[in-house]
Amino acid sequence: MTVGFATGTDTREEVGTAEKTDLDQPWVVVVWNDPVNLMSYVSFVFQSYFGYSEAKARTLMLEVHEQGRSAVVSGSREKVEQDTVALHSYGLWATFEKVGSE
Amino acid sequence: MAKPFKSTRRGITGALEPGEARLLGALLDDVVSMLEPETAPSEDPLAAMVGMSDADADATVPDDSAVRRLLPDAVRGDDDEALAFRRLTERSLREQKIGALRSSALLIESSPMTLSGEQARLLAQALNDVRLVLADRIGIETEEDAERLHDIADSKDVDDVDSYLALVYNFVTWLQESLVQAMLKAVKLER
Repeated sequence: MTVGFATGTDTREEVGTAEKTDLDQPWVVVVWNDPVNLMSYVSFVFQSYFGYSEAKARTLMLEVHEQGRSAVVSGSREKVEQDTVALHSYGLWATFEKVGSE
Repeated sequence: MAKPFKSTRRGITGALEPGEARLLGALLDDVVSMLEPETAPSEDPLAAMVGMSDADADATVPDDSAVRRLLPDAVRGDDDEALAFRRLTERSLREQKIGALRSSALLIESSPMTLSGEQARLLAQALNDVRLVLADRIGIETEEDAERLHDIADSKDVDDVDSYLALVYNFVTWLQESLVQAMLKAVKLER
């Protein structure tokens, strides 16, 4: 991901560990890092599409940025398919997979 | 130079110079033409209504790497599964993106713009797609590639097609960042 240069007020908050995805749910959506999507935009998508708090969206965004990937939501196969397509509509690089298949 | 977007009580406001609006309009049109399906939707009205068509059954992974980035595989490491999913979903994703790009081309025609939350979201999506295509054409593959281009911020830095595209990329990046900052502010106010 990249940082837009219109910003100057970006502060890193102290946040606890991101809520872990519920492992009872068999499928997850994985978001992959890429050099184009803006960090602010990815946070915005996580907040507005999933309804995550600012802190949770930021933690997941940083996980994508620093670790190259992050499982951002879990659920039934139907749900993760739908979420993956929605993230593609935002231009995020997302895939779905079975928990533990990485 | 365009004014940064701002979150106001009336909505998100911004303004482009006429030349910037023309350039951005052309870029939005280019991306629309890249995404337009080559075949007409199914003539079966029910199939058309749910976005299915005979053409979907023949959907293949796009040859153009930029289109592949706009319509990525939804499954990694299983090409058959990825293709099967593409055949179910690709057309409606193309149509969604084309809708956002066309709406955005209309929105940027007014200056100043006053955007609802939904309009701002469509514009942010469209700007992102434009950036993904430009990045593919310039060959931005790593974060270091992206950082190298940051310095190309003025027409005096332009001496070939690549540096021109980099200048355009940096402009669209600046615009999207300013829009997203305004949207994040608006989200914060709503909560």
